[in-house]
Amino acid sequence: MSSPARHERIVDEADAATWITDGMTIAIGEPAPMAMIRQIIRRGVKDLTVVGSGLALDLLIAAGCVRRTMAYYVGGGFGGAVAPSFRRAAEAGEIEVWECEEGILTTGLRAGAQGLPFLPWRGGVGTSLPEVNPDLKVITDPIKGETLIAVPAIEPDVAILHAAVSDAYGNVQHCGGPGWLDLFLQRAADRVIVQVEKIIANEEVRADPWATTIAGADAVVRAPYGAHPFYSRGYYVQDRAFTRLYVEAATAAAQAGDRGPLDAFLARYVLEAETHGDYLERVGVKQLIALHEY
Amino acid sequence: MPTDEPTTAEPTTSGTVTGFDPATATREEIMATFLANDLQDGEILQIGAAMPVGEVAVRLAHFSHGPNMELIFIGARMNAAHLDVLPTPEFGWDRRTVRWAESFSDTGHRFDRVKDWHRRVFFIGGVQVDPYGNTNLIGVGEDHRRLRFRGPGSVGTSTLSTLVGRYHIVLNSHTARTFVERCDFISAYGWGSGGADARTRLGIPGGGPRYCVTPLCVMDFAPDTKRMRLHSLHPGVTVEEVRANTGFALDIPDDVPTTPRPTAAQLEIIRTRADRRGALRH
Repeated sequence: MSSPARHERIVDEADAATWITDGMTIAIGEPAPMAMIRQIIRRGVKDLTVVGSGLALDLLIAAGCVRRTMAYYVGGGFGGAVAPSFRRAAEAGEIEVWECEEGILTTGLRAGAQGLPFLPWRGGVGTSLPEVNPDLKVITDPIKGETLIAVPAIEPDVAILHAAVSDAYGNVQHCGGPGWLDLFLQRAADRVIVQVEKIIANEEVRADPWATTIAGADAVVRAPYGAHPFYSRGYYVQDRAFTRLYVEAATAAAQAGDRGPLDAFLARYVLEAETHGDYLERVGVKQLIALHEY
Repeated sequence: MPTDEPTTAEPTTSGTVTGFDPATATREEIMATFLANDLQDGEILQIGAAMPVGEVAVRLAHFSHGPNMELIFIGARMNAAHLDVLPTPEFGWDRRTVRWAESFSDTGHRFDRVKDWHRRVFFIGGVQVDPYGNTNLIGVGEDHRRLRFRGPGSVGTSTLSTLVGRYHIVLNSHTARTFVERCDFISAYGWGSGGADARTRLGIPGGGPRYCVTPLCVMDFAPDTKRMRLHSLHPGVTVEEVRANTGFALDIPDDVPTTPRPTAAQLEIIRTRADRRGALRH
């Protein structure tokens, strides 16, 4: 009698996106899991709290999915100022900003991963952060009596990441190692969805288990070019012309009050492109090939 | 796609500025030179986003007198003393930058070892700066829920400013809107409300801000009060110009020196190696 078969975890983006429902806390990593983000927007999910950064977070705000941000930097890209939709929505009071900082956010995620109510951090003592974010508590440490900040555990319902490859069982390997806070998002979250450039054989994972960066992602989504218009290390570089399209449309909406170009952008590249494949067709093969370098 | 390969190609120049005559140095090149002269060999330099003056300063220092410096572009840590030029990062985790690095740290692990941060120097910007070197990247307005201007966020500056040996405030413009008596919000604690013990009384270990460098002048902090004072004026700038563009009463000594121009040798390094794209020449 044979043993029962191991479950595969490959899911398409539409099924994976059903895990995300109104009011959840999600974390989006970097490289940005754009195929999943576009699918979340198509589903019309509302009132999300989002741990994230940059223009990927900005797109979710532009599409009306976000109630609260947990971000330490929402810039418009390298050299950019403030991401346009984030700035407009925050100034209008449409989103709440859980004000934090890089070390503070990382500390909260560590506490979440380790099942602790909080962890202390020194960066931020003396600043306005505990005043504008009452979740951050100034404490006196019981060992040496120093002034520190207690950062409460951050526990996203779902972390959504983009990586190079995974096998069918969620053994993920990054190209050149993981970036940003992805490992911390994965450890702190209840469930993890990783979209990848390529599904590889389990044998290939076992040939180099030291290279496995995330063991046991709950869902693996097949998404070549899935980080477009952003980069995916080892596969393609950022599509600056495309991100400029978004920034110009979102800036027109934010500063001139003209949502026309932004709605047209969202319609063409998100809402009317029913699948990731449809999206890539709209971007165009020639444009994608031009990005295809390390 | 810009690749910025290290080559010995002819220096790229833009505009009308050519050659290495110190008299042709732009204000931004003077700012970078002042900062480079402050940086010591063996220091670890943390370079963030959107700070062209700081970036050129670090490259100039590395090529001119800092072969043992460690340069950290976001997470990519490199020593490029053996290269003619340094790649210009699109962003720090871009493989185009990381390929020159000796190691790379993801963001989550960047702050895991702070024991050598007394040797670390970084540059900070702000939408507001107060006389005690406190800086604000959160935004402008009375009510945090309805800011008049929403800033980009604190990035890693609350932690870096707390722990590094010293840091410099570097701004691309000098206006009364930026230099205010009180920041609406403080994202990086400088010298608090003043006094030599402003940091030690909170148990903050880092050495705090040393210089504030703008396109008009260099400022530093009086040792006893830690209030900002004029340190030097860039060539051609007057005390009145600085006063008119500073929103608080700046302490101004009787004798204010002129910020030194780069030497011809420094300017050659800037224009042929440290700033090949001419970001500081315009």
